[in-house]
Amino acid sequence: MVAFRRPSGQVSTVILTLAAAPTTWRYGYELCQRLDLTAGTLYKVLMRLADRGLEETTWERDLPAGRPPRHLYRLTGPGRVLAGDLAAEPPAPPTRARPVGALGRRPRLEGT
Amino acid sequence: MNRTQLLGRLGGLVASAAAAAPFAWLWVLMMRNADDPLTAQARLDMAIWMAVFGAPWMLAAWLLWRAWWRQAGAQLSSLDGPGWLLAAAAATLPADRRDWGAAMAAELTQVQDRPARWRFAAGSARAAVFPPADSRAAVGITGALAVAVVATTALATGAALPAGRVFAPTFVGLLGGLVTLTVARSRRVGRAGPGPAVAGLALAGIAACLAATTYYLAEFPTYHRVHPAVTSTSLPPVTAVVLAVVLAGCLGLALTPPRWLVADRHARRFGIAMAIALVAGFVLDSRLVQPGLERGSHGLMDYLINGPLLVILTGSAAAAAVGRSFRSGLWAGAWATVVAAPLLIAAWLTEALRWDQVGRGLVLDGEGGLGVGANLGDAVWWPLVFLALWALPLGVLGAAAGSWRARRRRARAHADLAPTA
Repeated sequence: MVAFRRPSGQVSTVILTLAAAPTTWRYGYELCQRLDLTAGTLYKVLMRLADRGLEETTWERDLPAGRPPRHLYRLTGPGRVLAGDLAAEPPAPPTRARPVGALGRRPRLEGT
Repeated sequence: MNRTQLLGRLGGLVASAAAAAPFAWLWVLMMRNADDPLTAQARLDMAIWMAVFGAPWMLAAWLLWRAWWRQAGAQLSSLDGPGWLLAAAAATLPADRRDWGAAMAAELTQVQDRPARWRFAAGSARAAVFPPADSRAAVGITGALAVAVVATTALATGAALPAGRVFAPTFVGLLGGLVTLTVARSRRVGRAGPGPAVAGLALAGIAACLAATTYYLAEFPTYHRVHPAVTSTSLPPVTAVVLAVVLAGCLGLALTPPRWLVADRHARRFGIAMAIALVAGFVLDSRLVQPGLERGSHGLMDYLINGPLLVILTGSAAAAAVGRSFRSGLWAGAWATVVAAPLLIAAWLTEALRWDQVGRGLVLDGEGGLGVGANLGDAVWWPLVFLALWALPLGVLGAAAGSWRARRRRARAHADLAPTA
């Protein structure tokens, strides 16, 4: 069992987007455009998710000649569990004040 | 001649010209700032000295460009601006994140619109240069600790060792910055180092250098010149900053060297041997050769020219021949410089005390009438000037000569093995 801090808004958005079609491999630039994130933000999120075992990566196969293979991303099992938890959470209140215990809550996940 | 060949040749010319430019500028500066009008002979002599130091740099710059162009330049020549930006940033990624650089570069090929390419490359470069740290808290704590240690050092030095109030906080601040950057950039702080011999020798040199500098700052914070009668600071602020940057840089390279510098064990071994030979030669010259010469007219300036010529040139050539590559010789020269710089400064300061006791004047040129503290500035500037201006290009030339011999031997061996018709 590994503990994870509650992901930030941008990390949650990426996780939920990847979870929308969990078996589909996604491209980095495609995610940038879809989520309107800069490449700098997106790749840091992708690196962090891969570091924590929430995302798996692979290189594109059967590509046309003359083009380098692209990197592909999708959630792992624990990533999908976390995505489920995030989707089930109520949206954060608009004010800065948060209920006691909400900050720093750590969803605990199996199998990483 | 195709575009790649043309770019390769142009690049070589530009690299040589860029290497020559500082020497030409220095010559012009000396001509303009001379107190008395210089004779044509004096101008020519100065120009010859600039050529002596500039020519190895020009040749070294051309050799370095050629080696780099063969390795990666030809591929990079097909890239546009965003591609170059991303390739340069991806080259700084730690080994365990190298795949991400390839991923970003592959993705950039899918972005067609030019402004969008620049935006994508700039964002990806940011992620490559500052990849996510394992723990932001660790980075924050390290940074805060570094600031606290710098502030404490500044206060403590100001009270206990006023002459070191620029050097000590600058050195500690640079170290703090290096540690914070290392924590921020790598998931594995304990990544592969250069090995205990290189790290140990470099650390010993840096420790000796710090100890000697502290002793000088405490005992000889100023020195007096008799003609004209003036009192000068032994470690002026600019020299203090240069010393701090050099020591922090050497420490950083010795403990967390870039991956391309670590891989070659021949280079590390030859680098250590060259550093030891360079410093041992310096001490032997000071103790055995100089006492036999006429007092007050000699110093170790000659050794600073001849020592690297003998040690670095031949050592880099031998490293390249044994490692059978230009890089082996190049990295051996680099390691020799990193390890020798602090050791040479420490040896200079230690020998200066001996010279002062027997009334031999300054270690650099035997000049008398100055306090022993005058050696501190000399010990910082002159080894650095000679290592940077003289030893580094000699290392490149030696590496080129050694690898050329190795290539010839290999070619001859292939020719001997080839079936005869």
